[in-house]
Amino acid sequence: MALMSIDSLTVQQRLFNASLEIHEGEVLGLIGPNGAGKSTLLNAITGLIPRSGRISLNGQDLEQLDSLQRARQIALQPQFIESVWALTVHDIVSMGRLPWGDCDQSIIRAVMQQANITDFADRHVNELSGGERARVWLARVLANQPVLLLVDEPVANLDIHYQQEVMQILVDYARTGYAVVIAIHDLSLAARYCDRLCLMDKGRTVKTDTIEAVLNSEILSPVFNVDVYVDLDNQPPVVLAQ
Amino acid sequence: MERFLNPALLLLLLMVAILSLDIGILDVEVGSALIEWSSSSLSGEALTREALIVGEIRLPRTLLALIVGAAMGISGAALQGLLRNPLVDPGLIGASQGAALGAALVFYFNLFSGLGALATPIAGLIGAALTLFILMGLSGSMARPAIIIMAGLAISTLSSALLAVVLNFAPNPYAMQELVFWLLGSVSNRGLDNLAVLLPAFVIGSAMLLTQRKLLLGLSLGEQVADSMGLEVTRRGRYIVLGTALLVGSSVAVAGNIGFIGLVVPHLIRPLVGYRPDRLLLPSALVGAIVVLVADMLVRQLPPERELKLGVLTALIGAPFFVWLVWKERQRWL
Repeated sequence: MALMSIDSLTVQQRLFNASLEIHEGEVLGLIGPNGAGKSTLLNAITGLIPRSGRISLNGQDLEQLDSLQRARQIALQPQFIESVWALTVHDIVSMGRLPWGDCDQSIIRAVMQQANITDFADRHVNELSGGERARVWLARVLANQPVLLLVDEPVANLDIHYQQEVMQILVDYARTGYAVVIAIHDLSLAARYCDRLCLMDKGRTVKTDTIEAVLNSEILSPVFNVDVYVDLDNQPPVVLAQ
Repeated sequence: MERFLNPALLLLLLMVAILSLDIGILDVEVGSALIEWSSSSLSGEALTREALIVGEIRLPRTLLALIVGAAMGISGAALQGLLRNPLVDPGLIGASQGAALGAALVFYFNLFSGLGALATPIAGLIGAALTLFILMGLSGSMARPAIIIMAGLAISTLSSALLAVVLNFAPNPYAMQELVFWLLGSVSNRGLDNLAVLLPAFVIGSAMLLTQRKLLLGLSLGEQVADSMGLEVTRRGRYIVLGTALLVGSSVAVAGNIGFIGLVVPHLIRPLVGYRPDRLLLPSALVGAIVVLVADMLVRQLPPERELKLGVLTALIGAPFFVWLVWKERQRWL
């Protein structure tokens, strides 16, 4: 059953029209060129920008939820994030519990272990490396325990080691029965870690289907305006501009 | 250590407040003078000299300094959190200039003469309220904090220009001198009746800020994250702007400009609360009160004919601190 179904979602002042379904337990990759509307879609689902159309979560219309109820079920990890104050890692992760109004230490401890950041729980987040910080931001949204986790470009600016680590954390979260939507530019990583893909172009959802159905050069080349080389049989799969 | 911070600061504030009642040219037994003052006030008997000095001069001065300091400290902490900027002063939203203009008009037109000594604070409060009204109208119903600040800057510039007009056309040099001295900021020669203006504004304003602590914490990671966590930045941010305007407006209306407290005090506290913007409010209020009380005690040590205004002293101490802050911020960006 679809965890979330989005039907003719539009936003103000932008050419945008999205329809798709998100399933329980899956990692759905949002792909498409810069400006295709990936971040807009994530922001619209979260309710950060005015929207119209129909979005239902577990069969319930999203408009019927107030902001806190929505925040308990849907969490967003934006692409650009920084802490203006020198907060500790533990404080940042605890903020994931803000929508719930509690500070459940067992959840916080568990997600810190999951994200492998327990060792520097008391350090200031601004002192950490980019890779360590990415895991801290991720632990914050995991502490929220949302049924739908939206992540915008989680591996941009990360080295290949941290890319794998972060993607694996997201896959593991989805496998516990929730759903994760990742806006991602790296198509090889998308092929390797996502269950399905949604291709966006010019503010529209072009195709939402399995990896094999979306990642082929006939579909990708016109959208990205470049010849795309696809080898899904290789381990790990390779998708590159020629 | 953090657990003991607020109780320790409260204790320190109490000690400083008692010291403030005790310090003066005349050596007075504070406790008995206070008891005598309160019983005489209730029964309507004539006050002794000691009771008069402590109850009618030192007590209002101490209470006003305490509340004004607390108001400035807490509103600075809240506004810096809302705007995610450690260099923000609570005067930025224009309420203090509005209050100053309102009060200045009293000196100029002799408004509300029936209210006696309360004419200035009440006109100041009306000035602050009008500024706030224009601010809300100008920034619109969906305004983000940055827009509110730009609107505040525009309004404070306008109020300052009008204040300059009032000063320019002052009816006589004495009125002008009185106005300028008043603007410099002081808690002396003000009766307990000023509390009627200050106290309700302080209680309501502080409550508005204290209820938004979660928002301040969420905003540490930016407006987008705070919004995504259901914290409704636009709607709830208005409570912080309103609360700050109430606190700053009423403080300026009663005491004139006591600058730099709201800017500097949160910086002193931040390392002690693990840089948590939500835990910063209460200790900033307490330290704001302590700093203004101590500054006022220092001012009182000077001979009365050469009175240094309290606002001048806080600016003298606060401005170099601000320079140091800018220097420190610059190092961070280098």
